[in-house]
Amino acid sequence: MAISDAEGESPAAAKEVGGERKRKRLAERSLLAKWKTEGERKSYSSKLIEALRVVRRSSCPAPRAVRVAADRALAVTARGRSRWSRAILSRRTLKLRSRARVARLKPPAAAAGPRAAERRKPPALEQKARVLGRLVPGCRKLPLATLLEEATDYIAALEMQVRAMSAVAEILSAAAGGGRSSSVAAEPM
Amino acid sequence: MSSRRSRVSEEEINELISKLQSLLPEARRRGGGRASAAKLLKETCNYIRSLNREVDDLSGRLSALMATMDHNSAEAEIIRSLLRQ
Repeated sequence: MAISDAEGESPAAAKEVGGERKRKRLAERSLLAKWKTEGERKSYSSKLIEALRVVRRSSCPAPRAVRVAADRALAVTARGRSRWSRAILSRRTLKLRSRARVARLKPPAAAAGPRAAERRKPPALEQKARVLGRLVPGCRKLPLATLLEEATDYIAALEMQVRAMSAVAEILSAAAGGGRSSSVAAEPM
Repeated sequence: MSSRRSRVSEEEINELISKLQSLLPEARRRGGGRASAAKLLKETCNYIRSLNREVDDLSGRLSALMATMDHNSAEAEIIRSLLRQ
């Protein structure tokens, strides 16, 4: 699973705030690739330790608790570089997905003057961006560009989490005795 | 969030969107013709939701596995396989 590394820098945009933004973008790309390599192993081990501690603490481990531990370990691996990871780490208790939240819909017929630049975005796009903001931890009120950056990082991290947890599940089910092993074909990484 | 004319141009957003597109599995299969931004956002949301679901399933599987295993041997097994890699 290779991330396409298309060099798409526009020299015109670089003239602006310029060098710093360009550098940041290049750095981001290599950060994404990190989720596939060294970062993977580190999250792997720290997550295992976390999950095992969860098991030890309770005689009846809930999947929710394992998820929380896995997420925390994932966020720690991100080393505070991203908003979503910081948001996960600052969750003090088990985050309950409360559906009781009232959807805050801004009436679209607001002032069209000073907001002209943002009104260029069709409402459909805005609405989807809002949904995305709710899905990525701690990214509810971000401007679209930042939100997209966070989302790409979050997706890469989640993919790694899935790979690592699957591997652990394989190990444990193999160890638990042949009868329980499921034949999941290992993805070439 | 300031409402002044944002420095982030359409261009930058398009770039981020194509970066996002390269991450989505469907885009890879399709061979990457540029889809509309709205469609991409929707696919992104769906992808994140399905990844979350996978992690939840795996969490369930792991907690069940660990419940049936002796803690020490579980840890030993994991460490052994880590060392093997």
